[in-house]
Amino acid sequence: MVFDVQFGWNGTITEVMLGATKTEGGTRSHSYRIGGGKTLPFLETIPNSSAPLIAFEICDNPQYWSPIILSYCGDLVNDCGEWAKTADSVYGADMVRLYLTSTRQRNFSDIASVGKTVETVLSKTRLPLIIEGSNEPKIDSEVFLKCGEVGQGERLLLGTAEAGRYRSIAAAAMAYNHSVIAQSPIDVNLAKQLNILLKEIGVSSDHIVIDPYTGSLGYGFEYSYSAMERIRFAAQKGDDDLARPIICSAIDTLTVKEVREAETAIQDDVAVQWEFTTGLAAAAAGAEIICVRHPRTIPLLRKAFTSLKSEKTDVGGQ
Amino acid sequence: MALKALDIYKLLPKKNCKECGDPTCLTFAMKLAGGKTDVDLCPYLDEGAKAVLGATTRPPIRLVKFGIGERSFAVGEEFVLYRHEKTFYHPPGILFKIADNQTTDEIQAVTTRVLNESFIRVGADLRFNGIAIENASGSADTFARAVETVEKTADLPLALMAKDPAALSAALAHCGTYRPLIHAATGGNYNEFCALAKHHDCPLVIKENNIDKLAQLGKDCITKGVQDLVLDLSPDSLQAFIVRSTNIRQLAITRVAPELGYPVFLDASVMDQQDAALVLGISKYASVIISNPLPQATAKAALTLRQNIYTDPQKPIQMNPGLYRVGTPNKDSPVLMTVNFSLTFFTLQGYLESTRVPCFMLIIDTEGLSVLTAVAAGKLSEMLVKESIKKFAVEDEVSHRTLIIPGYASPLSGRIEETTGWKVLVGPRDAAEIGDFLNEEWKK
Ligand code: B12
Ligand code: SF4
Repeated sequence: MVFDVQFGWNGTITEVMLGATKTEGGTRSHSYRIGGGKTLPFLETIPNSSAPLIAFEICDNPQYWSPIILSYCGDLVNDCGEWAKTADSVYGADMVRLYLTSTRQRNFSDIASVGKTVETVLSKTRLPLIIEGSNEPKIDSEVFLKCGEVGQGERLLLGTAEAGRYRSIAAAAMAYNHSVIAQSPIDVNLAKQLNILLKEIGVSSDHIVIDPYTGSLGYGFEYSYSAMERIRFAAQKGDDDLARPIICSAIDTLTVKEVREAETAIQDDVAVQWEFTTGLAAAAAGAEIICVRHPRTIPLLRKAFTSLKSEKTDVGGQ
Repeated sequence: MALKALDIYKLLPKKNCKECGDPTCLTFAMKLAGGKTDVDLCPYLDEGAKAVLGATTRPPIRLVKFGIGERSFAVGEEFVLYRHEKTFYHPPGILFKIADNQTTDEIQAVTTRVLNESFIRVGADLRFNGIAIENASGSADTFARAVETVEKTADLPLALMAKDPAALSAALAHCGTYRPLIHAATGGNYNEFCALAKHHDCPLVIKENNIDKLAQLGKDCITKGVQDLVLDLSPDSLQAFIVRSTNIRQLAITRVAPELGYPVFLDASVMDQQDAALVLGISKYASVIISNPLPQATAKAALTLRQNIYTDPQKPIQMNPGLYRVGTPNKDSPVLMTVNFSLTFFTLQGYLESTRVPCFMLIIDTEGLSVLTAVAAGKLSEMLVKESIKKFAVEDEVSHRTLIIPGYASPLSGRIEETTGWKVLVGPRDAAEIGDFLNEEWKK
């Protein structure tokens, strides 16, 4: 080219490994390496760099899950093992993100059941797992340790660490070699601060994924989009404390007015478009793991990512 | 490189005569530095200064206008690669495409839809912008007839998509005075296309799949006297679009390649994934996007994304603080307090309207922050509530002294009671439950 395009980027996103195959000490069919980018998303053609990963979100107590998904997925929602298996074999996800919503009931204390659930899901699906543990500081430690222990060797991604509560999850991740999701509310400085806190207690930089919090389309996405861009941009400019891959999960998407109140005949379409639009725009802003809840969103995102990046990495053997 | 305001000031006549529309030469210099005004507005600049300033102070991306009348729109005049550095100013126009060999009914239906369909979100009226007519038939007559049909149905901005200058000329006979966008001049036909664009004073898309060739073609068209250019990078994949569009934006705003300082055009309808192309076009610098008429689900998502990306993230859309009425409230009607973030206001207002209970909404100035955000940031305080009650004379409007506050503001309830002397009722967190709440708690 005659023109010399200069962006002044010199930073690289730290690579994080997710999932472990047999040769890597786990039981997953795939393992992924995310990160490694040196430019804004999709501007470079690095052979073997992975397209953004698509994680399908499930839970072990669907009481508060969107009615749209309950009706689309049917009975599966009551059996998270089968649901996870279907995410792999039918829906075609890259990862499964399991929310341990059962732990969110008042006075929950059955930690053994958490272990069982994780075990079941690990045995039913061969995809790498993201696990969302408890929401309650009192049981955090036990829940996270249980997840960590059951998933030992599988290089899980554990969520979610926040500025006020990150020790239990960090301890579990370090003890069993898993990675951690670090969530901060839509702010580049808070994201940085949390990464520093995690670094200080010993979580290594290649075990952290940033969740800048994704407001759903029309309800905060305008801020989240910028937060992702700013994190990625700062990293590209050399800020090492922000040079981490980003995960995007717009958990409120299926409850926003446009989706909730859509006519029944097109409600699934609206839900899918809302997730797709958010996920693709977030990927363009820098997110490398895109979480969705509607199975039909997966093939659409997959097709777009394939056209944006030619190769999917499969770093481990079988 | 852009000049600083003081450097520019040194080159100005320093007469402070106000003829440029600015109060002083210095303010004019500051505006020039921000690309917000035009050097030509100062009549006393000498040619040398003009030459220096002209090249560096015009907006790095030219403003190009389409159509005339109410629905006309302008794109370009953007300054940044990242919207948080400044903001994005001109949302892309999205035009629905029709083929000239479709039936008259079909053409009218799409045109009427673009004319009338509107999607109201947070007080803004979101619409598609115009119609792109493609000369799919290859016949000049058919093309002209289709353009005439659209033209008779609505005054909307048009894009004329043709390869044959004769077809274009026939179409321009119908709509040439309404500033349609002409698509597209290429290395092979630019002489004829430029002549038509110049004759009708229309913006012109230039099309090449290589940035160097595109820049050369742009120069050629300018030499022919066409200034309002739009760039079609004819990407063959989503990745090709992002790469070319990002490079062009960067080259333009850094003024490395002023010949690329024009808005970008994207025909999403010819990409193999139209929905994905729309999303990426909106987020990655396309200014004119062509798509086939969209189903409802996609239409709303695309318009919402466009609204989000073109909202200044540093300035949430705000309401004026004050006392608003829902229905015709009287002295006994409830008063509900909330913040001046427009999304919050319109969400709550929507639910209140459907409850059919007349009431007052007291809107507090939280600088556009939502309830939770304002509480977390300390922007919603009992003092502010007290001042607002006074300022908006709420005590003259109602005879009771009970204030309903949002569920998320419950930590403030005690302090608000103490400071204002009003009784506080903590409402639900979710505005969707406001109807039940008013029926159960208020009517008691
Ligand atoms: C977008 C967003 C931002 C945007 C600001 C958007 C804005 N204009 O307010 C930005 C990025 C600037 C931001 C900043 C901050 N944020 Co913020 N933000 C959000 C986010 C994602 C969405 C907020 C939103 O738009 N909600 C939609 C509106 C419509 O909701 P709403 O105003 O509450 O209205 C609803 C109800 O309250 C009710 N309602 C409203 N009025 C009334 C009135 C009555 C009478 C009744 C009955 C009901 C009612 O109806 C509405 C619909 O149900 C939330 C997360 C979330 N899911 O809520 C975090 C969140 C609110 N932010 C949070 C925080 C901590 C912050 C910061 C302090 C930290 C930071 N990031 O720097 C800053 C503070 C800002 C500042 N100036 O310092 C936290 C608050 C934690 C807490 N529980 O206190 C949240 C919950 C995120 C989190 N999970 O940590 N934020
Ligand atoms: S017109 Fe020229 S001389 Fe007069 S105030 Fe403006 S900049 Fe100064």
